[in-house]
Amino acid sequence: MAAILLAVVGPAAGQVYKAPRTANGKPDLNGIWQALGTAHWDIEGHAARPGPVVALGAVGAVPAGLGVVEGGQIPYQPWAAEKKKENSKNWLTADPEIKCYLPGVPRATYLPFPFQIVQTPKHVLMTYEFASASRIIYIDRPDFESPIDTWMGHSRGRWEGETLVVDVTGFNGQTWFDRAGNFHSDALHVVERYTAISRDALRYEVTIEDPKVFTRPWKMSMPLYRRLDKNVQLLEFKCVEFVEELIYGHLRKKTSKGKEDPK
Amino acid sequence: MRHRIAVAAFVLVIVPIASIGQALAPGADKTPVAKKTTAASKTWNPPRTPWGEPDLQGIWDFATITPMERPKELAGKEVLTSEEAADFERRTLEQRNPDRRDGGSQADVGRAYNQFWWDYGTKVIGTKRTSLVVDPPDGRIPPLTPEGQKRAEARTVARQRPAFGPEDRNLWERCIMGGNTGPPMTPGPYNNFVQLFQTRGSVVIFNEMINDARVVPLDGRPHLPPNIRQWRGDSRGRWEGNTLVVDTTNFTDEPNFRGASAKLHVVERFTRVAADVLLYEFTVTDALTWTKPWSAAIPMSKTEGPIFEYACHEGNYGMVNILTGARAQDKAAEETAKKESK
Repeated sequence: MAAILLAVVGPAAGQVYKAPRTANGKPDLNGIWQALGTAHWDIEGHAARPGPVVALGAVGAVPAGLGVVEGGQIPYQPWAAEKKKENSKNWLTADPEIKCYLPGVPRATYLPFPFQIVQTPKHVLMTYEFASASRIIYIDRPDFESPIDTWMGHSRGRWEGETLVVDVTGFNGQTWFDRAGNFHSDALHVVERYTAISRDALRYEVTIEDPKVFTRPWKMSMPLYRRLDKNVQLLEFKCVEFVEELIYGHLRKKTSKGKEDPK
Repeated sequence: MRHRIAVAAFVLVIVPIASIGQALAPGADKTPVAKKTTAASKTWNPPRTPWGEPDLQGIWDFATITPMERPKELAGKEVLTSEEAADFERRTLEQRNPDRRDGGSQADVGRAYNQFWWDYGTKVIGTKRTSLVVDPPDGRIPPLTPEGQKRAEARTVARQRPAFGPEDRNLWERCIMGGNTGPPMTPGPYNNFVQLFQTRGSVVIFNEMINDARVVPLDGRPHLPPNIRQWRGDSRGRWEGNTLVVDTTNFTDEPNFRGASAKLHVVERFTRVAADVLLYEFTVTDALTWTKPWSAAIPMSKTEGPIFEYACHEGNYGMVNILTGARAQDKAAEETAKKESK
């Protein structure tokens, strides 16, 4: 009777899947994962819209999305709502992703690139294809305070049953959430929850807290999918070499014929 | 333990200037060297992961003042005595000390990055060998092929002129790869730390310099197809007894190692020979660069962390300054030419 009840109650409680275990008995989240959808364009719900680069036509347009923010809207303070609009207007010059800067958390997770979880008993390494960003999550070291502010933040993790909970602090405030100009300050505090919902999917839930920018904490959530391609591996996308022209092009040696061959 | 906090501070303000790059450039390690101890035993039985592989995990420090190549004045001397090693260490540290003020104003400018910024290490390697190169036995990197020489000359021209663009500078100054990360890794002026992570089926080689994580599959899959080239190459690993062997190919036509070509093939060997010593050996083969393959050995020592973020590109004021300076030089040269023609 109890078993039957449990089976009935289980799904309602939202905990139906039990992941395979690692050697030390924790849910095994190792693998290459990627978000699908349009959160990287805009974490709030949005209709399709044209992009700012005319030459890119349909390819440069922004696809629609239902949004990943719980309740639909980010609770900005009034000044911050204005700032977000300004960011959005100045996207091409203001977005750190365009300059190939380290993406920060949670943005790194839902960029349109895969990332890999490498799990050991003491650390979980998350390494991202975009910009070769990485971060080390220190497991069960709650007293290890952030030694210095950084782009990717300081990550401390713990296991709560089926869920890897990661507390991220120590941000330098220079990263964004998406290409729509959604942003935060250096007071950002992120709590991420990674839970396997099947062999090939994780539920990714994030709580965002930043009293300098928002009126209250808020949440986003989305699934992450395992990359099942044959021989899948992270490939290299350093991207510095792709933005040198953008960042340093005006400092190149010019000749009467235009640019000099660099080699 | 060396000054990790200073290193962290450097990370945030990093300005990869020409002098740092030159410190790592081929032929730059011409400092005199060190000497002999018993080779670390390769038979020590390392701890194992739960699935039975040797456990190499931890943070490993590969800083040393032992030069890559045996200094000419030590020709024929493979290993230093303890006394010679101590003397060598003392002399090297004296010579390198940028806090000296005995060279006039120009030398002072060259020493603007004072001792605070550097973390070369203070010791020769445990074996007290006089070079990191172990093969050829003379401790010297084999001569360049004619083609390798041509590329080296082209690089020298690019590095010495006022830079036309970022491509004239090395990968470190461009913040694409770390100056000491290779592959293969070689000791440099700071951030000589690598953390290894192991999970079933993969090893990750995570360098502090530019925070590059090389995920190495151990499942026997083939290398990437030859048309996919990467700055860090493409690495595959396997175990040979207690040794992790990592085979790397698929480099771009500008690998991050001593002017090598896209033909570069690197084989690295990681063996934990004591609880706190990881023996790192590599062999490089590149018929378009060197007349024969060569090998080096660097014992790494276990150290405490953490590994810090290294956001290089985000703060690369160095490149802006190098190029701005180059354009100012161009302008000055133009004006001089105009005056002279009048």
